[in-house]
Amino acid sequence: MAQQTMFLKNTETFAESLARSGVKYHFAYPITPATDVMKRMAVILPQYGGKMMQMESELAVSSALAGAACTGMLCATSSSGPGMTLMQEAISFMSGAELPCLMIDSMRVGPGDGDILGAQSDYYMATRGGGHGDYHVPVLAPSDGQEIVDLVPVGIRLAYTYRTPVLFVIDGVTAQTTETAVLPEYHDYSAEYDTSGWAYTGTQDHPKRALITGSYSHEDGYTMNERLRAKYEIIKAEEQLWKENSTEDAELIVVAFGIHGRMCKDLVANMRAQGKKVGSIRPVTLWPFPYKAFERIPSSVKRILVVEMNHGQMVDDVRLAVNGRVPVSFFGKTGGDMPMYTLAEMTAEVNRLLGE
Amino acid sequence: MQNLSIKYGKTLNLDKLTSYCPGCGHGVVTRLVAEAIEELGICGRTIGIVGIGCGGFSHHYMDIDAIEATHGRSPSFAVGYKLCRPDNIVFTYAGDGDTCAIGLGDLLHAANKGMPITTIMVNNTVFGMTGGQMSPTTLEGQVTATTVKGRDVSWQGYPLLVPEMMREMPGVKYLARESVASAKHIIKAKKSIKKAFECQVRGLGYSFVEVIVPCPTGLKMSVRDAYKWCSEKMVDYFKPQVFKDEVE
Amino acid sequence: MLVKCMFSGSGGQGSALMAKLVCQGAMKENLKVVMTQTYGIEQRGGDSTANIIISDEPIGSPIVENDATVAVALSNSIYSQCFHGVAPGGQLFTNSSLVEKPGTAEGFEQILVPASEMAVEAGSVRCVNMVMLGAVIARTGMLKRDTITSVLEDTMGKKKPELLELNLKAFNAGYEAAKGD
Repeated sequence: MAQQTMFLKNTETFAESLARSGVKYHFAYPITPATDVMKRMAVILPQYGGKMMQMESELAVSSALAGAACTGMLCATSSSGPGMTLMQEAISFMSGAELPCLMIDSMRVGPGDGDILGAQSDYYMATRGGGHGDYHVPVLAPSDGQEIVDLVPVGIRLAYTYRTPVLFVIDGVTAQTTETAVLPEYHDYSAEYDTSGWAYTGTQDHPKRALITGSYSHEDGYTMNERLRAKYEIIKAEEQLWKENSTEDAELIVVAFGIHGRMCKDLVANMRAQGKKVGSIRPVTLWPFPYKAFERIPSSVKRILVVEMNHGQMVDDVRLAVNGRVPVSFFGKTGGDMPMYTLAEMTAEVNRLLGE
Repeated sequence: MQNLSIKYGKTLNLDKLTSYCPGCGHGVVTRLVAEAIEELGICGRTIGIVGIGCGGFSHHYMDIDAIEATHGRSPSFAVGYKLCRPDNIVFTYAGDGDTCAIGLGDLLHAANKGMPITTIMVNNTVFGMTGGQMSPTTLEGQVTATTVKGRDVSWQGYPLLVPEMMREMPGVKYLARESVASAKHIIKAKKSIKKAFECQVRGLGYSFVEVIVPCPTGLKMSVRDAYKWCSEKMVDYFKPQVFKDEVE
Repeated sequence: MLVKCMFSGSGGQGSALMAKLVCQGAMKENLKVVMTQTYGIEQRGGDSTANIIISDEPIGSPIVENDATVAVALSNSIYSQCFHGVAPGGQLFTNSSLVEKPGTAEGFEQILVPASEMAVEAGSVRCVNMVMLGAVIARTGMLKRDTITSVLEDTMGKKKPELLELNLKAFNAGYEAAKGD
């Protein structure tokens, strides 16, 4: 497929980007607002010699994904909150087993069955491991269609360089938004990585290999965890990504990811037009959290406002990053007819804080 | 001690002493699986996906790549693997707890998909590794660590007949229940296990063999008594038979 | 350039198709487009709104939140929401065939188009969206007239030439009427 500008739902943009970047097999189970990814994958993957395999539950989805990842081939899945909950078993497994794959969570309102409206309620689940054990999964949070396209190759690089599952999180509003994006020409990024040193392809290729995450001795478990810890330290040091806007002389910095991060472009422009010194930081990697962005904030900053489509999850990381140097306020909501704060409401909150 | 590796070919790895308890049926089944792989000449491209429980040890005694899957999910792992690498021979190997308690959903859907995958379910009617608790296949009235007065079918259900559930699935091409209760049973079991692999080698569809075995430790019996109980009680309820053979 | 559109109508009036054609037109002119579902608006019997934002730069907030620079009310039941959804200095296109009591616009411009009647004249009342699209393109200049014409040709030209003719007629009628004001 040649490069082309397309007007797609962002879920579909995910599908196009994954297929054009080398994903061969996609495993999924229907769930709003993520279903459009698997629907498009079912249509386009055969054009690239792959397939979309619909499984009978997200437990089976993630297990099949783990089995597929054992071969070294680039595979993916897409789901939403309740499905991601079911997948935690295999995500914990793949983290311990050091298997690369890509996953997308189109976040919706929870807990329980929740609501199919968009939200950012899965931040904790995404960034804290989610399942059992000491592990992390790199988490990328694109804020619009073009950034989805741009971040998919980054996700593949992380997955294969560090041999880990990589998770994309996107709020359901952005997931359902239709917009233009320039889709690249087909390029299999996974082909740039040699998996023959670890993939489980049979003893015809190498002496016996066994994938074991269980501990046969107490020392085994300790060794595996220490190896993972060393890897996570490198990822934390090397892979923080964020975008910032007008922070150099800011008195107030708004921190938001996904759709609220995108809305900050307008918010900051409007505020600056009125002479108000407002800047913004938009984390692109949620794990590793971009602590470096907060080490650099200027002394002019008197307050930080965190805006989320939830009741306050990323704000914990911002408070850890700031470590008490600047007061951190939170502004967030989830669910209802309008599952997020509007630009007008964000503007009012910023003005209220500036007036304090 | 004489190393028997040469006699058995290269699949079976006899360098290690097995971790199985004395009298455990897994040892026989593991050997039968290794022999089938050896005789079909597929050792180099075979992948064992093993479950959690004593069945998880099985791959250590074979010179094949292996994946120790999450509990009950090996059939789904196998589906993902086989999709990516259809030329590899993929089998799952686990006990009754892994296969038909926590993993029943994964098992039946994998079977129904009809992809060429082989499943060996080793049924000893208890959770062996955790110390002999009730499993879905525990017999009526059978005393276990969690059915101290015997399994009461009025609320704990009847022992699950797994291959019977797959009989009507067109994608299942070889379906059998065998046993290791006696030498005669073992000879039949060897045939079935080999056919199940052959079914996959020929790309026909899903193949499944349940093997009824004793677990002296979990049953809290001597080896002799465990085999007696296996050949009388277990085999009476779980009747060995070939349900379906579309390999011919 | 930044245009925020709110196209509203009742079921079957084709406000969504109108939005889709504008999106395709914007792509032809190498502009960036965002289309979102309706949030924060009470859903009532069959009314629907398509929100789109067109810009030559990367688009910030994708949500049209009562700050439409171009609003379209095809039906009476949706009119009040459209009336209150126009940004200061914006334009409201009102289907005067159906909207019973158009309000007095303050701080924005209201263009009354008897779109349903004109659609009937063009051949079918179902072309009401095309009449309105013609009026919107003529008065806002947000896309070129030829762009929409060629989008129409692309989408219906090959399969249904008679449908193309009807839609073009309605589009041109709306365009000429609004341009002539």
